[in-house]
Amino acid sequence: MKLKVNRTTIELFEGAEIRHALITYLTRRRMSLKFLEQLEVRDVWGHEIDLDAPASAFTQIRLTFKEQ
Amino acid sequence: MMKKLVLASLMLLAGLGVQAGEKKELHILSANDMHAAIECMPRLGFVADSLRALYPNLLVLSAGDNRSGEPLNDMYEIPAYPMVALMNIIGFDATTLGNHEFDSGQEGLAKLISMSAFPTLCANVQPDAKWNMHVKPYQVFDCGGIKVGIVGAVALGAMGIPESHPMNTTDIKFTDPLETLQQYQFLRKECDVVLFLSHLGFESDVKLSKDLPWVDIIVGGHSHTQLKGGEMHNGLFITQNKNRLACVTHTTLTLEDGKVVDRQAENIAIRGGKNENKVVRGLVDYFSQNPAFYRVLAQVDTPFECYEELGNMMCDAYKVEGHADLSFQNPGGVRYETKPVGGFTVADALRLDPFQNEAIELQLTGKELIDMMKKCYDNDNQGFPYVSGMKVDYTVDPATKALTKVVLYGEDGKKLNLKKTYKVITNSYTVAISATNRKDPGKGIGKITAQLIMDYLEHQGHVSYQGSRRIFRH
Repeated sequence: MKLKVNRTTIELFEGAEIRHALITYLTRRRMSLKFLEQLEVRDVWGHEIDLDAPASAFTQIRLTFKEQ
Repeated sequence: MMKKLVLASLMLLAGLGVQAGEKKELHILSANDMHAAIECMPRLGFVADSLRALYPNLLVLSAGDNRSGEPLNDMYEIPAYPMVALMNIIGFDATTLGNHEFDSGQEGLAKLISMSAFPTLCANVQPDAKWNMHVKPYQVFDCGGIKVGIVGAVALGAMGIPESHPMNTTDIKFTDPLETLQQYQFLRKECDVVLFLSHLGFESDVKLSKDLPWVDIIVGGHSHTQLKGGEMHNGLFITQNKNRLACVTHTTLTLEDGKVVDRQAENIAIRGGKNENKVVRGLVDYFSQNPAFYRVLAQVDTPFECYEELGNMMCDAYKVEGHADLSFQNPGGVRYETKPVGGFTVADALRLDPFQNEAIELQLTGKELIDMMKKCYDNDNQGFPYVSGMKVDYTVDPATKALTKVVLYGEDGKKLNLKKTYKVITNSYTVAISATNRKDPGKGIGKITAQLIMDYLEHQGHVSYQGSRRIFRH
């Protein structure tokens, strides 16, 4: 299963959640997993989505840092 | 003459029970992907009661995935019964099936449906008669004179079945949601409002909306998408919320002459809200003191004295219960260090592995396995993963702490073949932090790792891991 995180295509195991897409994205970019809590995840329409949403329900997600 | 005609028309309309220009409102309270957030149910009960006091014909609906996410619910003696009992008492009118409704198999689902005081509506599911599973494709509700036709559907994954363990859905036939839904267009003629209770996800709902002009509203779930009230897409109103009852949606449809002329929706916060229904709270408290959590799964014959001993036991559980050749997991996934001699309970297992991580099966060559373990080491605070079915020699650069060499040995003491493919089980977190270029991205086996640990302990009866060492640092 493939999913685009920002502009990066991430390959995930079947049954993966959005959380796993983000962890894979961060580790691939050598970023600390501490950022996980600071990221806001949105679908292509700009709706907020949960970390435990099923990744299969999305073709693309966008990450931004939460406003402090 | 004209006056007589108008008068006659009005009399005719009055005789049919319809008044020209009459406006009616349909009120819907909808939740989705509750995932057994039982702590939020007293608040949801309060909100449903309050709205029902204002709108006695309120429709209370769930768009599926009512269970899976809270051990107090999912590991109840009858798995997931607490949510059914709570939904009954809150007065849900209908639910559709989410993929997680299948998590305790056909028999478990059939039992839950039989205990539900509300119908389960899902058109693209055809269970085998032997399960006696009462799933209806649709139902028509009379809400204060407004006829509401509700049809449901569940998302199908890559294998053409909902995302649950494949064993949970054997003997159930699933059909394409869109093709199936089109068979229910007759509801348009029979009803004032047609509602699609969807567990397909927001993207799919938007795609389908152009093919469902005969539907008035989609009450959606699956993708945990937080909408601000509702949105119009291709002339169809869609609602959905984040999961675990962060919010629910109160939708008001205004009908004029039997047609929907206006749609308004607002989010109502549930999680963190103050007022509660006390009866629902009492039931939640009862379920929270579940003695099943203190059931002894196995006797610990010698004490567990370090993380590695508990990690080895966990990996053995994945390997044995997952019928794999090998297993490994990140060291950070072992949540306590010691366990004395005595009973190992359900609560102990859930404390040891509290993350609800799914067990993932991968077909890996020896080399691919080493690559994954190296990534796992780098991304889990430079701790080497625990293993089963093998022993490991690894070398670390003392200055940088980087791994310089990893050698895997089978249980026979011989080096693992780097080209041979092995069936490996690990947890979903470990897979996510161990992104490598490998052939098999892996697939969930439909069970959480804590369940494998509990099954393993129960099957073993007695466990002893004192002095068990499998990873050797040089």
